[in-house]
Amino acid sequence: MTSPAPETPAAASTAGSPAPTRVVIVDDHAIFRSGLKADLDADIVVAGEAGTVEEAVAVIAAQRPDVVLLDVHLPGGRGGGGREVLAGSAPLLGTTRFLALSVSDAAEDVVSVIRAGARGYVTKTISGVEISAAVRRVAGGDAVFSPRLAGFVLDAFGTAPADIADDELDKLSARELEVMRLIARGYSYKEVAKELFISIKTVETHVSAVLRKLQLSSRHELTRWAAERRLL
Amino acid sequence: MTTAPARPPLVRSGDRVIAGVCAGLANHLGWPVHMVRIGMVVAALAGGAGVAFYAWLWIMVPTSDENARRNARRPASPIAPSVSAPAAPAGTGSTGTHRTGPYGPGPQETGPQRTGPQGSWWSKAPGMPFGKEILLGAGLLLAAGILIARLLGVDVPLGTLIPVAAILGGAAIAWMQLDETRRAGLVDKTKADQAGGWARLAAGLALVVAGVLVMVSGSGSWEQTWLALLASVAVLGGVALVLLPWGLKFWRDLETERAGRVRATERAEIAAHLHDSVLQTLALIQRRAGNEHDVIRLARAQERELRAWLYRDADKESGTLSEGIKAAAAEVEDALGQAVEVVSVGDCVMTQRHDALVQAAREAMLNAARHGGGTVSVYLEVADDAAEVFVKDRGPGFDPDSVPPDRLGVRESVIGRMNRHGGAAAIISSPDGTEVRLRLPVTAAPAVANHTNGEAKP
Repeated sequence: MTSPAPETPAAASTAGSPAPTRVVIVDDHAIFRSGLKADLDADIVVAGEAGTVEEAVAVIAAQRPDVVLLDVHLPGGRGGGGREVLAGSAPLLGTTRFLALSVSDAAEDVVSVIRAGARGYVTKTISGVEISAAVRRVAGGDAVFSPRLAGFVLDAFGTAPADIADDELDKLSARELEVMRLIARGYSYKEVAKELFISIKTVETHVSAVLRKLQLSSRHELTRWAAERRLL
Repeated sequence: MTTAPARPPLVRSGDRVIAGVCAGLANHLGWPVHMVRIGMVVAALAGGAGVAFYAWLWIMVPTSDENARRNARRPASPIAPSVSAPAAPAGTGSTGTHRTGPYGPGPQETGPQRTGPQGSWWSKAPGMPFGKEILLGAGLLLAAGILIARLLGVDVPLGTLIPVAAILGGAAIAWMQLDETRRAGLVDKTKADQAGGWARLAAGLALVVAGVLVMVSGSGSWEQTWLALLASVAVLGGVALVLLPWGLKFWRDLETERAGRVRATERAEIAAHLHDSVLQTLALIQRRAGNEHDVIRLARAQERELRAWLYRDADKESGTLSEGIKAAAAEVEDALGQAVEVVSVGDCVMTQRHDALVQAAREAMLNAARHGGGTVSVYLEVADDAAEVFVKDRGPGFDPDSVPPDRLGVRESVIGRMNRHGGAAAIISSPDGTEVRLRLPVTAAPAVANHTNGEAKP
C-alpha cells in the first residue's frame, strides 16, 4: 500500500522555488487518500501513504515528512487508531508535525488526538484550499484550530479568564480567550488579527499557547469532560 | 366471573412468610392477610386440604416480579420471536390483566400465564401448551385413585409409593427452580439474585433428600441417618460431577444464544435505520447526480441526520438552547442548501425569551445563507450573564443603513425582535463578510422571573 514518491527531498529542492512541503497521508480509505492528493496544492508533495497503524509508523519513520495527515480512526495496531501512530512516532514529533483529520466531530476524538501530540484537527469535509493552508501552517510550527476545536477548548477550559497573568496551564488568558472566541465564530487568523489589532504572528503565538495548554494541562476534568461530551 | 370488578392480579407477594401465597391471595381478594393465613392453617388441619391448596397456588401463581417482567417483556416480541412466540396464546390473557380484562379469582386462569412464557423449555412441545397442568392433573388423579382404592380396602404399597412420590416431587421442584433461575438470567437479573436462586435450589434439594432419608430409614437411629446422609451426599456429589460438564455446556449455549439474539437485534435496528436513511439518500443522489446543488444538499442533510443518530446522547434532554439553534441551522441548511456550522459553548434550558433569540438567529442564518455564499458559521456561547449568538458569512457584505425600510428581514426579525426581548443585535458588514451579533442578557432575577417575563411578552 505504501508508495513513496519518486523524487527525493534533495531533488525536489533543486526546483528553485522554496522547498515543497512533504506530507504522508494516513487513511484507511484509498478513495479518500487519492481525493486528498488531488486536492492538495502543487507545492505540497505526497511522500507516502499508509492505510494501517503499522504501515503508518513505518512510512513515517522512513520518509520523515514535514507533515502527516492523520486519520483519527485507523485499523491495525492495538485499536488505538491515530493516537497509536502518534505514540509510535514519538521520537519524530520534534521534526514531523501531525495534522489530524476525521469525519468525527466527537470531543473525545478531537481532544485525545491533540493531547497525543497532533498540532491541529480538521474535519474531512474541508476544502482543498483550506487543507493546503492548514498543512503549510502546521509545517511552519503553528497550530490549526477549526471553529469546532476552538469551541471544544472554550467548553473544556471555561470562558472565565485566568486571574493572574502567570503561566497557568489550566486556564486561558484573557487574550487567548478572545482569540479562541473569534476562531469559534469562524474568523480566519487574519481576521482575528485585524479584529484585535495584533499581528498574525501574535495570533499564531496565542493559538500555539492554547494548544500547549490543551496538550499539557493536567486538568483531570479535561479528559472526563471530553468523555462525557459525546454529542457534536 | 367476568362481571367481577377489576382486581389486582393474582401474584405471589414479596411480603412473604413461606412463599407469599397468602399475602398475594389476600391482596387479590381484598381480604385481610391474617384472615387468609388463619383460614389456610385451619384448612391445613382439615385433612391437609390447606396444604394441598397452598402448594397448588405456590406452583401455579407467579411472583409479582415475574409477572411484571413478563408484561414488560411483551413489547420486545417482534424482535425476538423465539422468546415471545410460544407465549402468544397466553399473552393476550396476561397483558390485559392490568388494564382491560377483569381478572377472575380462579387460580386456573393463572395457569396459562405461568406456562406460556416459560421459554424454550416448554416451547419444545408446542402441541402441549398446558403440559404442566396435564401432568399435575394426572398426578392428582393418581393420588385420588390411590386414596379411593385404600378406602375400598385394596392394599396399596404406600411404603414404597410415598418415598417415590416425594423424590419425584423434589425433582420437579428442583427443575422448576432451575427453570426460573435460567429465566432470571435471560432477563438480566443481577448475579447476586442468580446465586440466591442456586442456593435456594441446593437447600431445597438437601431438604428433600434429608426428608426422604429420614422417612425411608424410618425409626432408625441418628447414627444410621447420618451415615445414610453422608452416603447420599457422596452420591449427589458424584452425580453433580458427572452432570457438571453438561450443565456448563447448557449454560454456555444459552449465553451464546442470548448474545446472538442481542447482536441480531442491534443489527436489525442498524439495518433498518440505514435503509430508511442512508440508502434512500444514496438512491436519490444517484438519480440527481446532474444537479450539484441537490447532491450537496442531500449529502449534507443525510450527514447531519446520521451524526445525530451516531452520537446521540440518550441522557441528554432536549429543549436546550443549543438544540434550538442547531435545529434552526438544520432548517436553513435544508431550505437553502448552504452548510451552516454550529459551534456551541455552554448550554441552558430554553425559555420563551430564548425562543426569540433562536428566531432572530434563524433569520440571520437565512440571510447569511442567501446572500453570503459558502459556509455560514454560527457560534453560540451561553455564559452566566448572557447568551450570545454570532452568525458569520463570507459574502460580499452590505451596508445595514442602506437596507430599505420596507425590508423587514433584518430590521424587524433580527434587530427589532432582540430589542423587544431586552436583548441587543448588531450587524457588522465588510466586503469580507457579514457578522450578526445577538446578545440576550439574563435578567438579574433568577430563572423563574425570566420565564414570567417571557410569557408576558407575546
